[in-house]
Amino acid sequence: MDQRKPPGNGYQSRTRTNVIRLFRWTGAWAAATLLMALGPGLIWNKDLLVTLLAIGLDVAVGAGMVLANKRYVEELDELQKKVQLNSMGITLGVGLIAGVPLAVMDAYHVIPFHADIAYLLVLMSLTFGASNLYGTRRYR
Amino acid sequence: MKNRLKVLRAERDWTQAQLADALDVSRQTINAIETGKFDPSLQLAFRAARLFTLRIEEVFHDPELDLTEDRSADAKTAMGG
Repeated sequence: MDQRKPPGNGYQSRTRTNVIRLFRWTGAWAAATLLMALGPGLIWNKDLLVTLLAIGLDVAVGAGMVLANKRYVEELDELQKKVQLNSMGITLGVGLIAGVPLAVMDAYHVIPFHADIAYLLVLMSLTFGASNLYGTRRYR
Repeated sequence: MKNRLKVLRAERDWTQAQLADALDVSRQTINAIETGKFDPSLQLAFRAARLFTLRIEEVFHDPELDLTEDRSADAKTAMGG
């Protein structure tokens, strides 16, 4: 019986590093978005140049977040990739199915409020979280 | 797809986490393969066989394939071959 520990490849620590990187980029993007949204009115008195710089910063940090997410998914194992792919597919579908009717209802005043993009973002975030949780539990 | 990962792992007294680390996958993936909830890719199956120094068919096998072979053998017998 061979009871020696098999040689490891560090999957867990690599994934942990990628999660921490993604978490940091997501936090930085949220902060940059908050700055872009609230800065013109609260901090720099609607100065156009500073507002454009804030938008540029938000896009640049957003690109960093996308790359961090891409790297995170690329370095997952095949089962985790499958769970992520299913979650992304469901989220994209729900986003489309909910987004178009929401815009139409807003255009024809079917709903008594403005169909803000934030509602769609919240719905897509919740859908991604729920489908990811379902996928993770399914293969537990 | 059936597999002998759990038996082979137990023979070596390895934990799921150790096997997962050796195959460069998560512990959850090893558990899903062992319980038959997830079929690994050919690449991962070969990696597992290499780790146990066995042939791939000694680690993984398809019960459907066994049935097909049985049917072919029966057909040959029926034809007198």
